[in-house]
Amino acid sequence: MPQQAPQPPAQPTPPPQPVQSEPVIVLDPAHGGTDTGARGENGLTEKDVVLQIARVVREQLAQKGYRVVLTRDDDSNPSYDDRAGIANGYREVIFISLHVSSTGTPGTVRAYFDQFSTPVTAQALPAGPPGGKQAPPAQPQSTLVAWQEAQRPYVDVSHHLADLIQLQLAQSFSGSPSASSAAPVRTLRSVTAPAVAIEISSVASPADALAGSAALVAAAIARGVSALRPGAK
Amino acid sequence: MTRAMKIVIAVLVIAVVIGFVSLSPLRRRIQRLRESRGVEEQARHAVLAPPISTPTDVTVKAQIFWAAGPDRVAPVEVNLPLSADPVERSRQLLQTLIANPPSDAQRTLPADTTVSGFYILPDGTAIADFSDSLSSETPSGILSEELAVNSIARTLEANVAGLRRLKILIHGQEVDTLAGNLDLSGFFDLNSAPAPAQASSAQSVAQPIAPLSGNGLRTKQSSNH
Repeated sequence: MPQQAPQPPAQPTPPPQPVQSEPVIVLDPAHGGTDTGARGENGLTEKDVVLQIARVVREQLAQKGYRVVLTRDDDSNPSYDDRAGIANGYREVIFISLHVSSTGTPGTVRAYFDQFSTPVTAQALPAGPPGGKQAPPAQPQSTLVAWQEAQRPYVDVSHHLADLIQLQLAQSFSGSPSASSAAPVRTLRSVTAPAVAIEISSVASPADALAGSAALVAAAIARGVSALRPGAK
Repeated sequence: MTRAMKIVIAVLVIAVVIGFVSLSPLRRRIQRLRESRGVEEQARHAVLAPPISTPTDVTVKAQIFWAAGPDRVAPVEVNLPLSADPVERSRQLLQTLIANPPSDAQRTLPADTTVSGFYILPDGTAIADFSDSLSSETPSGILSEELAVNSIARTLEANVAGLRRLKILIHGQEVDTLAGNLDLSGFFDLNSAPAPAQASSAQSVAQPIAPLSGNGLRTKQSSNH
C-alpha cells in the first residue's frame, strides 16, 4: 500500500473578509422649481447654486472613482419622499443633501445630521378631555420601519459621518465649526442610510466664491466617506 | 500747469466739498427713514397684536432669547409684566420676542408674525400657532430656521414652568417645514436633558442661560403624524 506523502500542516483558513462594496453617493441639491430656497440680493438663488455645486461635486467624486447619483439634475423639485426614495433604492448608499443658507458668516460651512429622540408613547400623549375616551394602550413594536422615522436607526452613523466631513470642512473653510450639528432637517428624515446635510453660508456671497467652494466640499465629502468606510476610495 | 487743468482741479475740489457737505444731511435722512420704519412697524404690530394685559400681571425680569450673532441666540433680561396664567404668560413672552428685539440684527422672527393661538395640554405640551408670515418671511436655511425655532423654544423654556415640549403650527395647520428645511412635523423638547447621542456633539448641548448655537434645539419626532 503506497504511503501517502506527509501532508504539510494545514494552514488555518483565514476568516472570510466581509465584502465591502463601494457605496453609491446620492447628492441632493436642495429645493428646485418654484421653491427657490434662500435668495441673495445679488439675484442668486439657492436652488441654482446648489445644482451647480452638486454637478461639480459629482465630477470631482466621479474622478475619485465614486458612483454618484443626483436627486435632480435640472430645475425640478422632487418631493422630500422622492429624494429619500432615490437613496433608499440602493443597498450601499450615502446621502448628502447640499444647501446654501441665507444667513451665517459668509465662507463657513456646516454639516448636519438628523435629530431624533425618544419616540412619543401613548403614555406621553395628552389624557384627553375629562370623561372622554382614554388613549389606547401602546401597540407592540412593529418590525416595520415607519417611513417618517426611517433615518432613526442611522442617526449614530450619520452623526459620525457628519463629524468626519465637518472636520475636513473646518480645515478648508476658516471659521467653520469643528464638530457637526444636530438639527431636524426634513430631507434627511426618511433616508435609510448614513445621511448628512451640508449648508454653505451664504447665498449673499459672490457667485464665483460659492462655485469655488464646490471642489473643497467635494474633497471633504470624499475624505469623510473614506474615513467612514476604510475600504472605500 | 495749464489753465484747463487748473479749472478741472478746481471743479474736482468743489465737487468733493459739496459731497462732504451733502453727506451729513443724507445720513440724517437715512437715519430718519430707519426710525420711521421702526415706528411704522410698531404701529402695525400694535394693531395686529395689541399688548396682552391680565389681572395677575406682575413685572418680572424675563429672559428673552434673541439672536447674538449669525448662528446663536442668547438671553436678554427684560422687565416685563407677565401673567400668572401660563397660556397668557407664553403669549406675552412671544409677543415681546416678535415685537421688541433690541435691534434689527437681533431679530429672530419676522416682524409681521402674530401669535394666533397658544394652548397647553395636560401633559405639558405647548402648542404655539403662528400666522403665515412666520413661514413665508423667515429666511430659508437650516441655520436661520433653527435660530427662529430656538428663540421661541428657549424663551418659553426659561420663563414658563411646567412645559415639556413644543409643537409649532402655522395658521392652525401642521406643516412639513418652517421655511423649506427645518422639520416642524415633530415636537421640540423643553426643560429636558438632551438625548445622550446628541450630548456627545459639543455644540448640541443646550445651556439654559449661556448663548446657544442654532443647534441647541432638541426635537422629539412623533410617529403619529
